[in-house]
Amino acid sequence: MRVLLIALTSWLGLTSANTSGAELWIGAATADITPEVPVAREGVNVALTVKDRCTANVLALESRQGERVLDQAVLISCDLCILPGVQEGFRKHLASRQPGFDLRKLSLAATHTHTSMMVAKSPYNDKDYGNAVQPKDYLPLLYERMGDAVTKVWASRAPGAVAWGLGHAVVGHNRRVVYRDGTAKMHGNTDDPKFSHIEGYEDHAVDILCFYDAQRRLKATAMSMACTAQAASGPVISADYWHPVRESLRQRYGPDLCVLGFVAAAGDQTPRLQFRKAAELRMEQLRGLDHAQEMGRRIVAAFDDVAPLIAKDMRSDVPLVHLVQQVDLPARIVTAAEYEAAKKTCEEMDAKKVRGHREWYWRGYQGLIVERYLAQQKGQWKTFPIEMHVLRLGDVAIATNPFELFLDYGVQIQARSAAPQTVLIELASPGGYAGYVPTPRAVEAGGYSAEVLVNMIGPEGAQVLVDRTVEAIEELFRK
Amino acid sequence: MIGCEPRQYVFVQRVWPAVGIGLLMLWLSVCGASPRTATGAELWVGGAMVDITPELPVALDGFRGMRISKKPATSIWATALALESRDGEKVLDQAVMVSCDIIAIREGILAKVREKIQPRSADLDLNKVFLNGTHTHSAPVTTDGKYTLPDSGIIQPGEYAEWMTQRIAEAVLQCWRNRRPAKVGWGQGQAVIAQNRRATYADGTAQMYGKTNRPDFRGIEGYEDHNLEVLFFWDPQDRLVATAINVACPSQEVGGSALHADFWHPVREKLREKHGADLLVLAWTGAGGDQVPQLMYGRPADERMRKLRGNLTRLDEISRRVVSAWQDAYDGAKNDRRTGVVLEHSVQQIDLPWRKVTEAEAADARQQAEKYAKDPAQRWNHGWHQRVVDRYEAQQAGTAGSFSMELHALRLGDVAIATNEFELFTDYGVQIKARSPAIQTFIIQLTGSAGYLPNERAVRGGGYSAVIQSSRIGPEGGQVLVDRTVEALDGLWKKSAK
Repeated sequence: MRVLLIALTSWLGLTSANTSGAELWIGAATADITPEVPVAREGVNVALTVKDRCTANVLALESRQGERVLDQAVLISCDLCILPGVQEGFRKHLASRQPGFDLRKLSLAATHTHTSMMVAKSPYNDKDYGNAVQPKDYLPLLYERMGDAVTKVWASRAPGAVAWGLGHAVVGHNRRVVYRDGTAKMHGNTDDPKFSHIEGYEDHAVDILCFYDAQRRLKATAMSMACTAQAASGPVISADYWHPVRESLRQRYGPDLCVLGFVAAAGDQTPRLQFRKAAELRMEQLRGLDHAQEMGRRIVAAFDDVAPLIAKDMRSDVPLVHLVQQVDLPARIVTAAEYEAAKKTCEEMDAKKVRGHREWYWRGYQGLIVERYLAQQKGQWKTFPIEMHVLRLGDVAIATNPFELFLDYGVQIQARSAAPQTVLIELASPGGYAGYVPTPRAVEAGGYSAEVLVNMIGPEGAQVLVDRTVEAIEELFRK
Repeated sequence: MIGCEPRQYVFVQRVWPAVGIGLLMLWLSVCGASPRTATGAELWVGGAMVDITPELPVALDGFRGMRISKKPATSIWATALALESRDGEKVLDQAVMVSCDIIAIREGILAKVREKIQPRSADLDLNKVFLNGTHTHSAPVTTDGKYTLPDSGIIQPGEYAEWMTQRIAEAVLQCWRNRRPAKVGWGQGQAVIAQNRRATYADGTAQMYGKTNRPDFRGIEGYEDHNLEVLFFWDPQDRLVATAINVACPSQEVGGSALHADFWHPVREKLREKHGADLLVLAWTGAGGDQVPQLMYGRPADERMRKLRGNLTRLDEISRRVVSAWQDAYDGAKNDRRTGVVLEHSVQQIDLPWRKVTEAEAADARQQAEKYAKDPAQRWNHGWHQRVVDRYEAQQAGTAGSFSMELHALRLGDVAIATNEFELFTDYGVQIKARSPAIQTFIIQLTGSAGYLPNERAVRGGGYSAVIQSSRIGPEGGQVLVDRTVEALDGLWKKSAK
């Protein structure tokens, strides 16, 4: 039975003791992770120019009672698209530097900017990148620079305070367009008599955490919202809308302000509009902004709406409890028909002397379908293991997942959460490629993001993820 | 007939300076040259607003149970905006739009208003006048027979409707007389107000206001449209004189039993504080049949933030967001004021197919109607079910015909405005906006009182607002409504192109 496949493994948290009387130590810093151009960009092309710098933003938290360490967390937000294998590689790198904290308490998350450096190259990718920086060149640089930042941050952590709040910014839009025949298409045309509706929900909440030094100066902020940073475009390197956000906030709070951008459950969300595009463009032109800048403006407005208020309620004595769980989720089962189709596609691609447009990119995914099906027939690959971080920080719960998780699952977690405020971080701590996690209605309607090609788990696995996350939060808040 | 002099009741004194017969009128300046478009058209604009608050106790519309308001918490208003496009002395087109702080434009109300205007305004095409309800659930009942009400001590619905329509007619006439050359602009902001109120569960069912902290909760059924569409009108001296705000959310944050204009009251107050006490604010509810301002989850964080802001109520918070989004739109739109634009206004009757009542639905409704038939306190429930029985019988007899709806479609510059008489689920509004030829499209629902218009997924999920009792027109009719609206808008743009 599938239920039996759900193997909840060991709890690795140091302690979940009541931290009343605890002291919160905080460290934060930003590392520039942008290499020299040209550089292979995540996706299909080579970036020839740097529009703005991509960074890794490091936040270290430690809860202490006197000399006793109660718990720790090192959270890193990276201006990268995806992080397959990056956390594992970085932990190995850090281990050699002995940074002084439990490396299991480290979690990396991507902002999903598509104008960023490629970090993994498919063996089928035979595209000629010329002299551009590729993953084999880039990863050592990435680890070195992030390693320097983490080491510095951990060494410089000091007593501080935290505050949290909730704002709103209309940035994320559901990108799955459903037609009257019941099919769906990501970024489908809505100016179509067959257009029926936008498939799912949108959540425009911005969860905001602010971290202060002992003098109550803002030293870092972490913001999470249900949208991936993919408003920028073109053959450039850019941190997308997080760049104007950082620039704006640093003008007021100082150049060292560390801004962590996190993506909540947003597998079906994007800053790209599905309708009303002309009106949006007109307003941007009236404001003299491009789309990424406009998104940044809205995020900053949400921050400005919240930050002064929550500064009145900053806390230096809050519980910090950090659970790290290995959870086996039921995998999406590949059907025989899906296997046959993928096998045929692979054969067709392999038969070509020169692979067609982006075929070098998709060949790996198609091959994975074949591989998964064959393994599943042998009773293997029926679960998908993930590393899940769940934290309590004061009245806030923070929960990670490695997927592009459809928003409905995030809403479920937030609605059922025992915490007064729940911050979700997707695209975090992935082992390998984790893919999208669609809802049942998305699977039924099909289309990219809801098909087996890019789904390591499906609705069944997602429900387990939701339940386990809710249980972990419950554990932290009810105890 | 001059004015609406014979009052049977004493009405609340307005804080606004009374003009003439008690109407508060917005006069647009006559100064300045008459602006014209490149095509020679000139836009004339007039405005007026009238207090429609009764002083005596009154029954409130919107919920199943009867409520009597003894004293208003706020005034309620009808706000009228007149538009006319002229080429020299030649009138090109007209529109008078009246937003009313009432639940809906119940059957017969528009006809009464037109009837009262008709003898007094030969140069206004009565068909170009329409009203909309903001859907406040704290405004008077305007139709007799819906609730079992006390015989005395309150204003009866029919009497109130008669008085209210007289007041609205006066506002229409005043705004029409006041029209003067003006500038117009449009823009959009974003305000997280609307919350889809239909929760779905693992068994495929849906429930309005259903609990979301259940383990079998699976998601919110549909979309939310957090765009705020705004029109701005300036006099030739660039003084902002009127604005129309379109939010895809009904104004039903307030419950209780006191008359209240809901979130539009603090919105108006705040905008007038900044832009002058005479600012005219039209409140237009977009396609929001499945929306409310109430949260479906995340209440503790919201409550904490409101507390940090100085113990704001939800009403305060909602109005704060609307005003902020309005300001955001204004900051952009004020840079693009048009001194003359195309105004085209098409009015047509469209026929929509009734939602078919199944045999099982009819049997269930019959049983429920019989259960409530003899209890006067259950009048609302009885009517709710009995109407399904009546529909089924007409359907079976072949006498049902179709539902005829008055559709107003306007072009104002690059903006489209389209009306419907329903509590239209947001998905339909999105369809219209996505397919509209306009840069910006305003949807105004509840220009009548035709009930909910749910989409297919809602009908599948069931629950109040999607069951047969809630909906006379179903997804089939909804699609016709969308298609006919888009056709009407396309027609306006093609006509202008010629």
